[in-house]
Amino acid sequence: MSAPLIPNLFDVCKVLTGAIVWVVQQIIYAVAVLIPPLRGLGDWLGSDPVITILTWLIAVTVIVVWATLVNLLTMMWVERKLYSRLQDRYGIMISIWSLPFWPFNRVRRPTHRGTGYLQNVADGVKLLQKENITPRNADAAMFHISPVLIASSTLMIFAALPWSSGFYVANLPLGILFILAAFSLAPLGILIAGWSANNKYTLVGGLRAAAMLMAYEIPMILAVIALVFFTGSLDPIEIVRQQDRVLFALGPIGIPAWYAFTPQFLGFLVFSVAMMAEMERIPFDIPEAEAELVEGWTTEYSGMRFGLVFGFKWLRMIAGAALIAILYLGGWSGPVFATLDVGGIPVPILPEEVWFLLKIYLISAVFVWISWSVPRVRIDQILNIGWKRLIPYSLLAILVAAGFRVLG
Amino acid sequence: MAVDWQLVAFFVLSAFEIIGSILVVINKRLVRAAFWLAMTLVTIGAIYLLFLSEFVFLIQIIVYAGAVPVLFVFGVMLTRRKIMDEPPREGSA
Repeated sequence: MSAPLIPNLFDVCKVLTGAIVWVVQQIIYAVAVLIPPLRGLGDWLGSDPVITILTWLIAVTVIVVWATLVNLLTMMWVERKLYSRLQDRYGIMISIWSLPFWPFNRVRRPTHRGTGYLQNVADGVKLLQKENITPRNADAAMFHISPVLIASSTLMIFAALPWSSGFYVANLPLGILFILAAFSLAPLGILIAGWSANNKYTLVGGLRAAAMLMAYEIPMILAVIALVFFTGSLDPIEIVRQQDRVLFALGPIGIPAWYAFTPQFLGFLVFSVAMMAEMERIPFDIPEAEAELVEGWTTEYSGMRFGLVFGFKWLRMIAGAALIAILYLGGWSGPVFATLDVGGIPVPILPEEVWFLLKIYLISAVFVWISWSVPRVRIDQILNIGWKRLIPYSLLAILVAAGFRVLG
Repeated sequence: MAVDWQLVAFFVLSAFEIIGSILVVINKRLVRAAFWLAMTLVTIGAIYLLFLSEFVFLIQIIVYAGAVPVLFVFGVMLTRRKIMDEPPREGSA
């Protein structure tokens, strides 16, 4: 049993909001000496509804910044480094000492022997500077709506995705369903992007995405249904709480009661494969098969729009790995070996967030490993995999789950 | 004056829904019609949410957001692209 580092994100943000509002209030009161009516504005800022709304905004901002600026960049770096190592090369190695201005441009600093962590930031800055081109015969409105649709629906996942039992924006009783619904909005954006760019490669990519959708969306939902037979709940925090116990002891090691170790194993496999198709990892990345279609449905995007539709794939990968961890691999449950006492508050040295991030990155590393080791499947092969393998297996998983439920 | 925000939300959503469903029918470009259809279905889901039935709302989004691309694929495969852009022929209504 472990404890979260952030017991309640809302309360933490409320302290932050209170501090910010207090500073702003003092400034307004100082100005109000000259302009008396401003005093009312200061009082209004300190009132309870305003503080609550500002706290919600700050909590959402914290989650978005945490997901994109911290985890997205780290995930991109992990993938680029890991597949480079799999291909027996070093990968990105530009260090911060290669920047051409003062604090960095010292002589005799090795500029190309770093870890390359900031390379993705540099790529983002490069994409921001580039021109945003709209093809002449494209359906401009649809062409520009599609990245917005994809980006916003991907960020919407993180509104309901908890990072620990305290680090979340909203705790919905139907959280898993919400996450799946937010996941299922992006293929519409992909299809719109593929059609509206008026390019044969994007069109083929978009239609492949739509054809693939049926092959993985159904088994994924069916696997979740099989799981719900056991959990009886769609609340991610409740599902993780159920897995936070010992299934049986194997010598001194207690095997945790993760759902992947129970009869749900089949559902776990089906869900993982379907999730790989959902996040367009390589064995299933036929919508943007860069060997056949130039860059698939993203061919005509340029500048930061390309950065958005390309980079948010990793955000969906984080969300998918987090969903697999929550549903089947125990989420943020894990042993906490000791606690530190900081000002009377016990702080666990291995809080829930650390366990959860560890699981997310391990699952993602396995996905990267698989996707750079196997060739891409064809469109007919993924339809066969989806309809002839995954759907029967997920139905079998439902049958097994129902049987175990009946027998107790 | 007290404003009934639920009623306001209902009217705004209804307006979106009616405009969207009219645009589905009168639009000549297939992808736009599919987009407006998706918007109509999602706003219907939002009205379910207004009636505090979150489950129906989420199922509506999962089912219909998944169905619209498939419908669109059939639309592309079973219609001629030029059918709407051609000028009306002489003598036809």
